[in-house]
Amino acid sequence: MAKSMNLQWAAGSAPCWRVMITLEEKKLQGYEHKLLSFEEGQHKSQEVLEINPRGQVPTFKHGDSIINESTGACLYLESVFKDQGSKLIPDTPAEQALMYQHMMEGLSLTEKLNLVVYYEWFVPEAERHESAVKRNREALVSELQLWEGYLQNVAVGSYLAGAFSLADVVVFPNVAYAFRFGLSVVRFPKLAKYYSLLKERPSIKTSWPPHWVPGPQGFDVLKDV
Amino acid sequence: MAKDITLLWVAGSPPCWRVMIALEEKNLQGYNQKLLSFEKGEHKSKEVMDINPRGQVPAFKYKDYILNESYAACFFLECQHKAQGNDLTPQCPKELAQMYQRMFEGLNISQKGIDVIAYNWRVPEGERHESAQKRNKEALTEELKLWEGYLQQGPYLAGKTFSLADVVVFPSVAILYRFGLCEKRYPNLAKYYNCLKERPSIKASWPPKWDEDIKGGPPRDLLKDI
Repeated sequence: MAKSMNLQWAAGSAPCWRVMITLEEKKLQGYEHKLLSFEEGQHKSQEVLEINPRGQVPTFKHGDSIINESTGACLYLESVFKDQGSKLIPDTPAEQALMYQHMMEGLSLTEKLNLVVYYEWFVPEAERHESAVKRNREALVSELQLWEGYLQNVAVGSYLAGAFSLADVVVFPNVAYAFRFGLSVVRFPKLAKYYSLLKERPSIKTSWPPHWVPGPQGFDVLKDV
Repeated sequence: MAKDITLLWVAGSPPCWRVMIALEEKNLQGYNQKLLSFEKGEHKSKEVMDINPRGQVPAFKYKDYILNESYAACFFLECQHKAQGNDLTPQCPKELAQMYQRMFEGLNISQKGIDVIAYNWRVPEGERHESAQKRNKEALTEELKLWEGYLQQGPYLAGKTFSLADVVVFPSVAILYRFGLCEKRYPNLAKYYNCLKERPSIKASWPPKWDEDIKGGPPRDLLKDI
């Protein structure tokens, strides 16, 4: 089963990490994979473009099926391998609703983090404004405070939707990212606790990025957030 | 069942429309709903903030469960009402994979459309640049070429069956035609749009005042050269 799967990935990419966590959780180790280098532009190579015309990682194939969009790939794997490995979509309606809601809100967290960490990559020099930088940072703070609220009762086995779920698969890589880039554990204690609990989870330890690629402002861009 | 559902929505908002299409498809008509005025800023009212602290629509409750993210609401409704109304998840694993792939790629067409259509709403006056607007239009053009290719085969996004991919992507496509996208330039996309706009769930939920100008909003032919 895993042998018919192929993942092309890059170190430190949250979307790639999500798929790798899911593959571990669903006991699909042994899949074919290739580590690419962002710095060498390998995400724009022919090998990637053939599977993903957008020139983005991850690229993910299962037999002839292609699902490059990370959240989509995670949902697909949970659906097809429902009876194998950990259950990643809760059965009870209340937790299921919370799972889907937080999973999709995770994309908002991704966007707001990217706007701060990668501002200079996304915005050409002539279009940059202090006012935008300030607004992006404020939006990120508000966003992080929402997640701090969602994790009021975080404890072992009590994550974004109760037991570990696809919401955590999608969101944890972003949280790990934020702390790697200097987010304060003092200002965001619940997020810090969530991070310290889940970083010990086997699927997460096994797939931990071998290295991280610094953003334009290095690794402490979030220290004052 | 439908009486346990509440939706606060704004006319013409693609995320709201997605949820309304899903509700129709699952035969959940008769839900509680309230149309809010975007121009009057009602999406930032206390009523909305109580359900969605982000001050965004849709604000959606199913019993006590909050599902403001449109995709989350669609996934949940399909899961909870699997055997009711139309089946929105293909059985065949290959179509299922394609459904998920297109659903999430759909976020690109949604974002790139908004970047062009809502530029003046989203970017304060002192930060606007011709170069950014040009780049946004080019990005939308490249995105549309991808979808034109995807729709060579069909008739739906996941293949032979109407699915959640169409529920979430159709509104983001429709809004492009609202603002003047040229049908001739993207014939497969136009065929998809014209075919789906006849679907009962889509007709039933078609936004009111679709053909009216939005006060202070972008011109209706904004996308004619895309």
